[in-house]
Amino acid sequence: MSSTFHDKKEQWKKEADKVTERFPERKDTFETSSHIEIDRLYTPEKIDEEYVEKSGFPGQFPYTRGIQPTMYRSRYWTMRQYAGFGSAKETNERFRYLLEQGQTGLSVAFDLPTQIGYDSDDPMAEGEVGKVGVAIDSLADMETLFDQIPLDKVSTSMTINAPASVLLCMYIAVGEKQGVSKDKLTGTIQNDILKEYIARGTYIYPPKPSMRIITDIFSYCYEEVPRFNTISISGYHIREAGATAVQELAFTIANGMAYVDAALKSGLEVDQFAPRLAFFFNAHNQFFEEVAKFRAARRIWAKIMKDHYKAENPKSWKLRFHTQTGGSTLTAQQPDNNIVRVAIQALSAVMGGTQSLHTNSRDEALALPTEESARIALRTQQIIANESGVADTVDPLGGSYYVEHLTDKMEEEVNQYLEQIRDLGGAVQAVEEGFMQREIHHAAYEAQKNIENGDDIIVGMNQFQIDEEVNPELLRVDETLEKNQIQKTEDIRNTRDQAKVEQALDQIKQASHDEHTNLMPLILEAVKAYATVGEICNVLRKEYGEYTGM
Amino acid sequence: MNRKIRVLIAKPGLDGHDRGALVIAQALRDHGMEVIYTGLRQSPGQIVQAAIQEDVDVIGLSSLSGAHNSLFPKVVELLKENQAEDIPVIGGGVIPYEDIPPLENGGVNKIFTPGSPTEEIAKYIKRLIDPEASSSLEPPEKIAHIGIAVSNIEHALPFYTNTLGLRLQNVEEVESEGVKVAFIQLGETQLELLEPTHEDSPIAKYIAKRGEGIHHIALEVKDIHERLRQYKEDGIDLIHEEAKAGAHNSQVAFLHPKAANGVLFELCQHEEGE
Repeated sequence: MSSTFHDKKEQWKKEADKVTERFPERKDTFETSSHIEIDRLYTPEKIDEEYVEKSGFPGQFPYTRGIQPTMYRSRYWTMRQYAGFGSAKETNERFRYLLEQGQTGLSVAFDLPTQIGYDSDDPMAEGEVGKVGVAIDSLADMETLFDQIPLDKVSTSMTINAPASVLLCMYIAVGEKQGVSKDKLTGTIQNDILKEYIARGTYIYPPKPSMRIITDIFSYCYEEVPRFNTISISGYHIREAGATAVQELAFTIANGMAYVDAALKSGLEVDQFAPRLAFFFNAHNQFFEEVAKFRAARRIWAKIMKDHYKAENPKSWKLRFHTQTGGSTLTAQQPDNNIVRVAIQALSAVMGGTQSLHTNSRDEALALPTEESARIALRTQQIIANESGVADTVDPLGGSYYVEHLTDKMEEEVNQYLEQIRDLGGAVQAVEEGFMQREIHHAAYEAQKNIENGDDIIVGMNQFQIDEEVNPELLRVDETLEKNQIQKTEDIRNTRDQAKVEQALDQIKQASHDEHTNLMPLILEAVKAYATVGEICNVLRKEYGEYTGM
Repeated sequence: MNRKIRVLIAKPGLDGHDRGALVIAQALRDHGMEVIYTGLRQSPGQIVQAAIQEDVDVIGLSSLSGAHNSLFPKVVELLKENQAEDIPVIGGGVIPYEDIPPLENGGVNKIFTPGSPTEEIAKYIKRLIDPEASSSLEPPEKIAHIGIAVSNIEHALPFYTNTLGLRLQNVEEVESEGVKVAFIQLGETQLELLEPTHEDSPIAKYIAKRGEGIHHIALEVKDIHERLRQYKEDGIDLIHEEAKAGAHNSQVAFLHPKAANGVLFELCQHEEGE
């Protein structure tokens, strides 16, 4: 037996013991339904250096088998359902309902005007207020959103990008009002602007100033909000836009490298911010390919951080990620079939070692999820965790000839793309030239053609169709909401200290072109004075201009 | 129509999901159309301006954010205000079924739901813009058979087999129609003698009303489902809106005699290889 293997195994055992002191395993002994005992980890019988180098032990470089020594034997992944619609008050009620149902983290969906930095009364916001998420204009809305939810007890993920700095400052301000200091806040802001240009579309400013705001957030949080994940580098939307699994991974990692480069350029040390970088991936239907993707992602990132960026803190090497099942794989036809798709996808994320998971609701191809659909989605995760037994040993598919081959292949093809993007001058340059957008579009069009000519079968859509009365109960956003929200914001504008707001906005303007002044403290002052998302973003919009794409 | 069909694909509102819009744009280009894509975040006003300036034949709107109920009608309204209501508007995205009738009654020509094949959308546009030239259906190939109503096959047969010297192909019963049929080969087509098996059968009623004689003409087609869908959309009177099983493993459907000056036509599609 190789001595390296032996040493690494001993090291892993020690680390696992250390972890289990803090997070004891869920059971003293794990066993199958026929009382076969389940070990924490299974490794090959015949050991060679290659195993150590490529797979290693969970919690050890290159983390192919997971980032923690015991994975789900101690704690399940965080079940985090994205929710938010209509007013802050309604969303607050849904949040409290989900927390009562056993959800362990919050995830906020914002409406499009908020995501693009428009107040609800902006002409651009017409028809969109509260539609795909909650409308937040001022700190008052944020206070309502987290009413009776203690911010030191939950971790909150916010899907917000271009105005991430503003919403994070509002979260900090709500915490302060609750008596929770900044250093106790946990959660994630998405804050990944590059994938907005590539695939999701909620950008505001051009890439350069956007990257500056992001690095301001990195350095502010390193000092002040150390437990918050400052970015969630997202492949999810890239995949939804039509990318293949390889493209999803390659473009996400390329974007990740661009953020690291920008932060280094702004003067930060790699180990100051890299431990707070998080990732966000998609889970589609091709089960083994997805599992391989997650395993390869960890290995690729660990090597990049250690070998290329010379990070020394092992936390900088670990790729932590959230997963959401694939919205674009759901069909409007026979919507209950979507429950099965989501279950398969969720299983791949768990087998791939995700840190948190959102399962989609069956009715998402039709409208926003109803409460019943959202509950089934959460139950799907709970069934996987509590009934299937897949969480009882670490990386159960490790060692499968097929999965290991796919993992290697995925790494190889991702590296080819990374080289290509490096030759273009990096991800920012590649985005500006439309390279990723074109690659994704080609893949999307090919996928559509394969469905239409019957090469790819989508059950219920191009085969196994039935005549169906499609009449499920759907969630509707109340049309009076827009008016009420506009009224609320107008009231805030009439009651706040206007001079204070103007002064705060002016300070942001002054600092906008001064790269040595961090914008975050200034934005925090502005939100505390009840300056709105739109007002703050409009100041920067004027200074930086708007990205128009294409 | 010599000019290429010009299409404006637009993303109204703030929604950033343009995978569908881009795929449709590409598919329509592959169908020989000129497609202009507006890019994201267009107000209804900007869309209508672009449509008029670019002199397009049709506008396709895509929205996945739930704002369709306010944004789509706005486009229709602004087209009217600008005397451009002759430009038809179609739409797609995440649009709940119950929203479709109000949108379609409010001036949107058609809403395509998720999963609609791009082929179908392209055909729809071609028909919408140029209903005459664009029939994408192949004309029927031949007469599959001529149906002749008889009270009793056994009595009628000798004329065909002995006098005319034709060959009897087979006799079978089509239960759903309450008839027994005899097929007689005649060159590349057939004569079909129809004998009622009970009193309620359509053939029994036909004979009671009009006596024995020529009942219908069946046309051989290759695309019966698509054809019926299109006929229905074009307002042709149909007896059967969906094809059903006929004799010889075929799919059949009858058009209403009103559609063809009193002649009863049947569409008939045989399984591949028959």
